[in-house]
Amino acid sequence: MTDQRTAQRNTTVWAIGGVAVVVAIGALVRFLEQTVPDAAEGSAFEGLAGAIEYPIYAIALGLLGNVVLTLLGVRERLAAGFRTEFFIKTGLVLLGASINFSVIVGAAGPAVLQALVLITVVFGFTWWLAGRLGVDDKLRALLASAVSICGVSAAIAAAGAVQAKKEQLAYTASLVIIFAIPSIFFLPAAVGWLGLPAPVAGAWIGGNIDTTAAVSAAGAIVGEEALQIATIVKTTQNALLGVVAVALTAYFALKVERSGSAARPGLREFWERFPKFVLGFLAASIIATIYGSVLGSAAAKPAIEIVNDFRTMFLILAFVSIGLEFRVAPLREAGWRPIAVFASATVVNLGVGLGLAVLLFSGVTV
Amino acid sequence: MSRPADSDPGPDAVPAQRRLALNEDWAATVVGLVLLALVLAGVWPGWLVP
Repeated sequence: MTDQRTAQRNTTVWAIGGVAVVVAIGALVRFLEQTVPDAAEGSAFEGLAGAIEYPIYAIALGLLGNVVLTLLGVRERLAAGFRTEFFIKTGLVLLGASINFSVIVGAAGPAVLQALVLITVVFGFTWWLAGRLGVDDKLRALLASAVSICGVSAAIAAAGAVQAKKEQLAYTASLVIIFAIPSIFFLPAAVGWLGLPAPVAGAWIGGNIDTTAAVSAAGAIVGEEALQIATIVKTTQNALLGVVAVALTAYFALKVERSGSAARPGLREFWERFPKFVLGFLAASIIATIYGSVLGSAAAKPAIEIVNDFRTMFLILAFVSIGLEFRVAPLREAGWRPIAVFASATVVNLGVGLGLAVLLFSGVTV
Repeated sequence: MSRPADSDPGPDAVPAQRRLALNEDWAATVVGLVLLALVLAGVWPGWLVP
């Protein structure tokens, strides 16, 4: 009993150490993004320094920290403190405060339509291709959910729904991060090449990049308007996670496992799997919109700017955690098939997502 | 084409991760809304934001 307690205390101490590492690197990121552009002024690096946004510093330093901690042999023990999901979700709740509720209402129709079509097409394609390549049914469900809905959160929900193995979840989460990191830089660059307007760019980014943290990073690189639309689109996909998780539970219980005795999932199951931070995001937007209309937008602005600073802080911590969490090992163990499935699904997602974004978001204003 | 589904759910890692993800959802919502309330109420000054 005493040994168990000591082990638990050690785990907690290491987790706190992990959070401390994230905060320390986050502080360095904040320092760099605030001082480098001024320091580089007038030098040959002025343009480059001005173009590097905080997500880039955060992910690069997170990856560097990852290498250092791995070499020191402490990364695995500290990993419990790398809480990407918590940091990103808190950042997104705070982001809700900077979006007028009327923008959410205006974008909700196209966002729901885009999410429904994109999730159906990409989930269906991934499920089909993984089946053709002989991938295990549970891994199929995880891959299809992760690539079509919202990355790691969807993989966790799907893993619970289909009772997947721990290694399958770790593997899918690694694939999500490996594909998300390059897309953080590739999509904003592609937005520039294609000359997409901010709402279309935001919808494309929000509909394509799997993990919510990476969507925020890419949106922030393109600009505030793109970030807002990308977040609304991604949050809509997140909200649909509950529906897909319940459908998967029913499908696996009744068809794949054929355990007729399993209870049919109902509203309670749906609520249990619904990502609750979506409610926080909507509540923050409603509260800030009412606050702005009562005080007037000029008087409300200083407070919203403080909230935005908090939001940036949490997003930095999330991006640092992405870099620190990155692992290559699970990929080597699973072979080429799931990677081929994920890569093909990503290409389909990019094409269909761009078409839908142009079709549905060209007329949306922020 | 697909191999038989593995019926062994493995250690309790996935349910534990699912519980953690659900708790993080609520934790993020509460922390975010509390910070928002503190700032809008003027309790949290701008200079105190890291």
